[in-house]
Amino acid sequence: MAEKQKLIEIKNLKQHFNVGHGQVIKAVDGITFDIYKGETLGLVGESGCGKSTTGRTIIGLYQATSGEVLLNGVSVHGKKSPKELKMLKRKMQMIFQDPYASLNPRMTVADIIAEGIDIHGLAKTKEERMKRVYELLETVGLNREHANRYPHEFSGGQRQRIGIARALAVEPEFIIADEPISALDVSIQAQVVNLMKRLQREKGLTYLFIAHDLSMVKYISDRIGVMYFGKMVELAEAEELYRNPIHPYTKALLSAIPLPDPETERVRRRAIYDPSQHQYKDGESLEFREITPGHFVLCSEEEYKKYKAMHS
Amino acid sequence: MQQIPKEMFQPAAAELGEAEKISRPSLSYWKDVAIRFRKNKLAMFGLVLLVLLVFMAIFGPHMTKYDYATNDLMNTNQPPSSKHWFGTDDLGRDVFARTWYGARISLFIGLAAALIDLLIGVLWGGISGLRGGRTDEVMMRIADILWAVPYLLLVIILMVVLGQGLGTMILAMTITGWINMARIVRGQVLQLKSQEYVLASQTLGASTSRIMFKHLIPNAMGPILVTLTLSIPSAIFTEAFLSYLGLGVPQPLASWGTMASDGVQAMQYYPWRLFFPATFICLTIFAFNVVGDGLRDALDPRLRK
Repeated sequence: MAEKQKLIEIKNLKQHFNVGHGQVIKAVDGITFDIYKGETLGLVGESGCGKSTTGRTIIGLYQATSGEVLLNGVSVHGKKSPKELKMLKRKMQMIFQDPYASLNPRMTVADIIAEGIDIHGLAKTKEERMKRVYELLETVGLNREHANRYPHEFSGGQRQRIGIARALAVEPEFIIADEPISALDVSIQAQVVNLMKRLQREKGLTYLFIAHDLSMVKYISDRIGVMYFGKMVELAEAEELYRNPIHPYTKALLSAIPLPDPETERVRRRAIYDPSQHQYKDGESLEFREITPGHFVLCSEEEYKKYKAMHS
Repeated sequence: MQQIPKEMFQPAAAELGEAEKISRPSLSYWKDVAIRFRKNKLAMFGLVLLVLLVFMAIFGPHMTKYDYATNDLMNTNQPPSSKHWFGTDDLGRDVFARTWYGARISLFIGLAAALIDLLIGVLWGGISGLRGGRTDEVMMRIADILWAVPYLLLVIILMVVLGQGLGTMILAMTITGWINMARIVRGQVLQLKSQEYVLASQTLGASTSRIMFKHLIPNAMGPILVTLTLSIPSAIFTEAFLSYLGLGVPQPLASWGTMASDGVQAMQYYPWRLFFPATFICLTIFAFNVVGDGLRDALDPRLRK
């Protein structure tokens, strides 16, 4: 595991929204984690905990309030020349949640997929551009006849694959998938996830996979981060996290997964997370601490000792 | 229930890729709109009427040997006849020639005012909506202030300062007319700019102008087009209304508004002098309105079957 190379480093990233009347919403409140080359990092948490905001801030759709995002050691935010910015944009791409809203209804599929090619001038001639579009369509399992059609003629799963083809057009290294399957029905979810896995194998992509479907996240992710109210509360290898959750919120989250077996489902007990159960004292600093190798939990000094004693 | 023997079943040929095929012929958005528009009989009638009116505005003045401006004091106030199809006015000018000449001016004023509204409105509303925040606030307050100035006062001041004429007339109409368009475009842009396809374009590194012209305006085209078609009749009507106040185009130029306002004075004795321009004002406004309504119905995706 030592040869793992950091692709993305996120350092104390904060994204606060000023909603007026002096109120500030801390959507993302100081998170720090790394994403290794070629891995899939799953990001889970309840609605409104800042998962999507994290993704959008990393890719630069929102200006981060503070903190840093490094891609191959180069900062992504801050002042950049247009040329540098364009290069960075090529390396990071995003797949969106709603396949019905993420494709411009007035553009043909060919124009949608080729948008990145046009912006970055990746094709010199019209033929080259169309050739690239056909290639991409075939990569995601669609026909070349689909190129001249409009998005409304496709099903949700097909649209999501068009969205993936659009992201792949600029040959990115890192793809943020913002709940790419939550708007699809289950049979199509598997299709899209398997496509994403295949592409990862073939092109060596790195994913940040944002989702709230815990079983799907477990299936696709190498490591999983759990977010709660703008903070990362636990980060571990997927297997480890499911087998051995430490933070009470993670435990609560995992206990909410329905089991497909009626016998066990009947006796499944849901744990309820109550933030006051930590009984943090004033002035206690919460930090992201490594309990077992590769397994990080947000906890106080006291809890750290307790967890450490429990898990070693 | 009749038993179906097993031998009659045959496995369907499940060819790979066959499932992804779409059998419906590919229709672009605008082709779809055209099909729906054509189904609307009233709107089609309006469109035909408009084409006829434009045709007559172009060729009408050449169909009669009389000129719109030549006085013929021996033949004043003649009723419609085989010589003067729509009769003559108090200076003996042929009303047929004047009606179609007036059509040119009325339609020109309507179109010009609407197009200038379109240009300013789309730019103003687009920038305001896209930038948002402080810029949006300031730009929309400027529009509000202009909107609050009494319109007629503004027009009269303009007429006094610049003198009567076509240009002044169009200026007077556009000085506040664009605000409506700007508000509609701003609303659309605000709504569209948070759509995921715009975000996707941003993550691909698209410039602001690309987002504006490739994503925002094409998607806002429906409401823009409807507003445009509905602002033409209102400009034509405003022209007629200003003519009644004596602020219309100067003689001997004719517009439907000036002709109607001249005709009103002799309404009881020579009704044709009012009847023809008034009828065509009504017909034109009616035609534009039904076409605008038809367009709105055709463009609204919620009515899609």
